[in-house]
Amino acid sequence: MARLNVEKDRIIEKEKVVVDGIELSREWNRMFEQRVIFDYDTSMLDKVTSIPGAESMGWCYQCGQCVPVCPVDTVGGEYGPRKIYRNLQYGIDLFESPDLWKCTTCMNCLRVCPKDVNMIDIMPAVRAEAVMEGQVPDELQEAFENTFEYGNPLGESPRKRADWTKEVSVEVPIMKEINRPVDVLWFVECYPAYHHRSKDATKALAEILVRLGVDFGILGVEEKCSCDSQRLAGEVGLFEEFAEHNIKTLKKYKFNKILTTDPHALNALRKEYPKYGGEFEVVHYTTFLAPLIDKIEWKKTLNYKVTFHDPCYLGRHNGEYDAPRKLIEALPGVEFVEMGRCREQSYCCGGGGGGMWLDGFMADHIKERLSENRIKEAVATGADVLVVCCPYEVSRFEDAVKSTGNEGKIIVRDIAELIKEAMG
Amino acid sequence: MTTQTVAIIGGGPAGIEAAKGVAELGFKAILIEKRDRLGGTPDEQKYAALTPDLRDTQTALRELIAPIENHPNVEIMYNTLITDAEGALGDFTLKGVQLGKEVEIKAGAVIIATGFQHFDPGRETQKYGYYEFDDVITLTDAEKMLSEGKFVRPSNGEVPKRVCFIQCVGSRDRRLGNEYCSKVCCGISSKQSIEIKKLIPDCKVFIFYIDMRMYGYWENEIYWKAQEEYKVNYIKGIATEIVRKGDKLLVKGEDTTFRRPMEVEMDVVILAVGMEPSEGTKEMARIFGLKQNKYGFIETIGGPLDTVSTNVPGVFAAGACTGPADLEDSVSAGGLAAVKAMAALRKLEAVTA
Repeated sequence: MARLNVEKDRIIEKEKVVVDGIELSREWNRMFEQRVIFDYDTSMLDKVTSIPGAESMGWCYQCGQCVPVCPVDTVGGEYGPRKIYRNLQYGIDLFESPDLWKCTTCMNCLRVCPKDVNMIDIMPAVRAEAVMEGQVPDELQEAFENTFEYGNPLGESPRKRADWTKEVSVEVPIMKEINRPVDVLWFVECYPAYHHRSKDATKALAEILVRLGVDFGILGVEEKCSCDSQRLAGEVGLFEEFAEHNIKTLKKYKFNKILTTDPHALNALRKEYPKYGGEFEVVHYTTFLAPLIDKIEWKKTLNYKVTFHDPCYLGRHNGEYDAPRKLIEALPGVEFVEMGRCREQSYCCGGGGGGMWLDGFMADHIKERLSENRIKEAVATGADVLVVCCPYEVSRFEDAVKSTGNEGKIIVRDIAELIKEAMG
Repeated sequence: MTTQTVAIIGGGPAGIEAAKGVAELGFKAILIEKRDRLGGTPDEQKYAALTPDLRDTQTALRELIAPIENHPNVEIMYNTLITDAEGALGDFTLKGVQLGKEVEIKAGAVIIATGFQHFDPGRETQKYGYYEFDDVITLTDAEKMLSEGKFVRPSNGEVPKRVCFIQCVGSRDRRLGNEYCSKVCCGISSKQSIEIKKLIPDCKVFIFYIDMRMYGYWENEIYWKAQEEYKVNYIKGIATEIVRKGDKLLVKGEDTTFRRPMEVEMDVVILAVGMEPSEGTKEMARIFGLKQNKYGFIETIGGPLDTVSTNVPGVFAAGACTGPADLEDSVSAGGLAAVKAMAALRKLEAVTA
């Protein structure tokens, strides 16, 4: 066969060629040489696995167990550690890919992973690099900036952090004002303090604590965001700064244990703050109330059929599955049904790991919201009430009730709200 | 005394261990080896490090051989080829040639440990161009280089930047007649990938596989180590063919999990060739009248519960002459064959007494 006389450095091999807006992709380029259809540029995999904390990204042996339990993949997000590894092996730049931001750090993949590919460590480590390069989705960046400026991701005034206490009939002791040791220091956290709907559970919990005679106090305006979700979304610097602030503040006061409303705060204070010198006993409010619930005298029977959504950061991350159930079962008149995906297998509301501030971004990459997928499951149980105990969830699920057309079929309530309702 | 003598044919790991077992239990072992040294295929083919523990082959073999070299109960006959045999349990006469001279060996029982040979990738099929491309090599070719402490492109002596292994060459193939899995190649490829990465840390190493068969501790000791510590890339789907692209090799196949064709450039391609019965194994089967399976390996008769007895009483087979075997299998079978051979002779003695 005659050889074509081609200048070697002018041979172009491209699978897709567009010149002046006209696509010229044909097999013409085969005339010169064998074309590369598919190749492996593993430099991206090497880059990711060389980031401290992200080493285990390279350990995947493609068993595929993570994908069916990945809540993002379930809603059409084409996701899961197995797929991320594969894309990296193929040479896709994770830093340029939406895949970097899809993970909610729900930990369901790690639960089933035989190789310990740990997305809970990988995601913050890799995202931290993107944050340093300034490659962050706008809405997430806004939450970071709000946190930095106001001490909370909602962008609310730090001076108003304890304003919710004015909306309750009971006295809520603030540490700086009472100037005495307390048994329980209540770390309220941002959404419970500010969010118009999450606040309802906060106010109910204040009344429950008073009714039970708990000796407690809050930090009020001295408290700043625990920053756990910002950390998992890659803002490690901000997390460290806020952790140091909160630890310093907490150390000013004498108390026996810390109570958190928010499972994400629980996670930060229990698992991350000790790394910065903040060693405290920390419990979620459901864990705290479970042994005390029999002391409450009920005034009202709740004729609800309820189901319960396990928060990822209470259940899988911190191993508490029983306390919320004990509280629900103690409620007079309540019939409790489980969803198929419950306890360790629980689905994710989509709010963790920065997901709380990525709903617009995520909408382009999934077919339905995670919260919508969950609401459909809750409705299918025949329950009237979806019970939650994480401040992210009330608003997420209430939105999903509306967007899935399930208004009138199911309502969303925090456990504290139901306890308050039954105790009158 | 013939009834207290066991002849062992083949001085590889299985034969050495069999001779050691016989000698240490008090019988006489005559170890017959066609070459002028012991060690079998790992020695002859110049293996670099052993699988799975990556120990230096020569060091490990020396340790294996040392206990029998000057053992009073062991006689080693080098450069000896067995050409004929007659007799039965308790009274075998083996005839052979030692450096051109005829020899006769008397033994009560015989252990065959004549091993395997590597599949020749140029046999019947040339789809990977083993004899066409200098840079397409086999696991054994790679072992030779690695044992000399180097790994280069045979075509030009340059250090390769991209190397891949193609698994299951000559194994699991109905068309070739080798339907079995050769058992060790996944482990050896993974072991070699570690050795290559140790020598050339920047080299990208890929292993194209159908199934990774890393049973037992090989899984975590080699496979996980290669992937996690040495960043070897495992890709499901083996290549179909290799074509020349400039001075590189273009490996064509399918990436099965992406469901896309792949064409990747490589500097060196290593064919993970499997095992076939050695000529010696086939010859011994003929001489002793041993049943062979359809692949030519000696057939043992006890299924999974007796891996060394053959259809001929008093003749046992150990190691890769009975089918694909790793070192662990071969050495274990060698010891077992020693026990079975001596037990057969003891029983015979008891009956005769």
